[in-house]
Amino acid sequence: MKKTNAKSLSTKNHFSPTTVVMLVVLIVYAAILFGLLLWALLTSFKIQDDFDVNTWKLPTEWYITFPAIFKFSVPVDTDMGTRFVKIPEMFWNSLTYSVGCALVKTTVTCITAYLCTKFDYFFSKIVKNVVIVCMIIPVVGSLPAEIAMARAFGFYNKVYGLWIMQANFLGMYFLIFCSAFAAQPNAYAEAAKIDGANNYSVLFRISLPLVKNVFGTIFLINFITYWNDYQTPLVYLPSYPTAAYGMLKLSTTIDNFYSTTPMIIAGAVVLMVPVLVLFLCFHKRLLGNINIGGIKG
Amino acid sequence: MKNSTKTMEYSGKRGNGFAKNKRKDKWFYISLMIIPVAQFLIFYVGVNIKSFAYAFQKIDIMSGRTDWTFENFKNIFSKMKTSTLYSDLLSVSLKAYLCSVVVGVPLGLFFSYYISEKMPGAGLFRVLLFLPSIISAATMVTIYMNFIESALPDILKDLFGVQRDGFLENVNSRLPSIIFYNVFISFGTSVLMYSNSMSGIAPEIIEAGKLDGATGFKKFWYIVFPHVYGTLSTFLIIGVAGIFTNQLDLFSFYGGGAPDGVKTFGYYLYANAQQAANEAEYPALSALGLLLTAIAVPLTMLVKYLLEKFGYGEE
Repeated sequence: MKKTNAKSLSTKNHFSPTTVVMLVVLIVYAAILFGLLLWALLTSFKIQDDFDVNTWKLPTEWYITFPAIFKFSVPVDTDMGTRFVKIPEMFWNSLTYSVGCALVKTTVTCITAYLCTKFDYFFSKIVKNVVIVCMIIPVVGSLPAEIAMARAFGFYNKVYGLWIMQANFLGMYFLIFCSAFAAQPNAYAEAAKIDGANNYSVLFRISLPLVKNVFGTIFLINFITYWNDYQTPLVYLPSYPTAAYGMLKLSTTIDNFYSTTPMIIAGAVVLMVPVLVLFLCFHKRLLGNINIGGIKG
Repeated sequence: MKNSTKTMEYSGKRGNGFAKNKRKDKWFYISLMIIPVAQFLIFYVGVNIKSFAYAFQKIDIMSGRTDWTFENFKNIFSKMKTSTLYSDLLSVSLKAYLCSVVVGVPLGLFFSYYISEKMPGAGLFRVLLFLPSIISAATMVTIYMNFIESALPDILKDLFGVQRDGFLENVNSRLPSIIFYNVFISFGTSVLMYSNSMSGIAPEIIEAGKLDGATGFKKFWYIVFPHVYGTLSTFLIIGVAGIFTNQLDLFSFYGGGAPDGVKTFGYYLYANAQQAANEAEYPALSALGLLLTAIAVPLTMLVKYLLEKFGYGEE
């Protein structure tokens, strides 16, 4: 009955002046976005001579430059001297960095939120308030101290070091997990405990499976964030350049072969493809029903 | 008998959670909480204590000596008098923040309203608005930068006969172009959260509003807006910190060499920390960070207070 009600209400929505204006603005937005991506795709099939006289129309002749992108390399200093890292290795670095960080960050946030929601201890309240306070209170300029701390703990220039450094529960996803666990009835866990399950079984066999959709969504969002992040690896992983960092280097390279606009744009297209594929496969989950409310306290 | 005793035990001690005052629960709690808390103490509390200490230090790399001093702050204040660096950084940082609040936030709310109303193309627009936030800034900026530098001037010339330089080359259009880009890509998460929140409004409330004549903008203002106010205020409160941390993706545009007139505090701090030759350069940056934090904290509290005092309650 409620479903029918909701459906009938949604179908009754008609255009008003507000929504017409919004439609026009959204169409302009979509046109700009598609225009940019289409331009990038077309440009990646040009050569510089063509681009010099034809910056926005179809290529005069179509060239496939993508394979050359995979040979682009970035020099990195190691204990053994300078070595050159090519795009496939950068993709591997991106993968280890982003999967590891996303998994660790999501798991730690999820489990901490579980403990704070289901165990009504005073310390849980402290942790919840710490998260909110850290979200509200801006700390500016702590990067130098963070670098120094990473060096002191031997985490600098180590991929696992960054996983550990990202293993925190701060941020809005903590609140989203808290909402998810708060909405979970305690009856299942109580029944399992009566049947002899311990706390670990309840957590891993009952509570976590019930929030697997939220977990998956937040993991994906975190993964994409880390995949696209070049600033953290640039500072903490100088010997492990990621694909996003490679893109940054490609866009500023002085190598004659790679410094042409079509080649740089071709590099951008190559880097964009894996994330776009991921997004197309999982967009329903990524755009799923996650909510954050107000901040109290 | 045993089962019924256990049932009483669990239901009797339930409270907000299902486990309380039990020794093994405490050990379970401690065993899982200890790592996140240790991580937090080291990489948040410890880092901030170190950052605070840096602000009052002068490090001599040659001798390895560290002196405690107010010199970093004195240098900042004297630079404020002799150079326009900090006032320029503040000006750009504030302009970027105001644009995001005045343009980005209302647009984000209206886009979300359109999507939550399930108007034509709502699903497609929801995907499109999120798309820029899943593409790496390095990629998106590279495409945007080259487009507005080379293609857009040619399009304007070929289609409208307008002659002009590249939008980043021209000093007057440089900052607006960068701010436009930042607003353009900013809708992903906020629209997702707003539209999800708007979808949660009970149909009965909307129906009651319609009977009272609340349609179109009135419906948005009197029914939808109060409902998403909690989410909106969260973004606005967190956003205040963005005044001093927002980098406007300048590192993607210019690497470490952004021109004057577009640099923000966030970019200045990141670029200098990233390019610092040694530890001796950290204290000056930490001192500036500490000063900015001292400004941002009361500002955030003020915004939070005002949003709570003059806004809507949770419901």
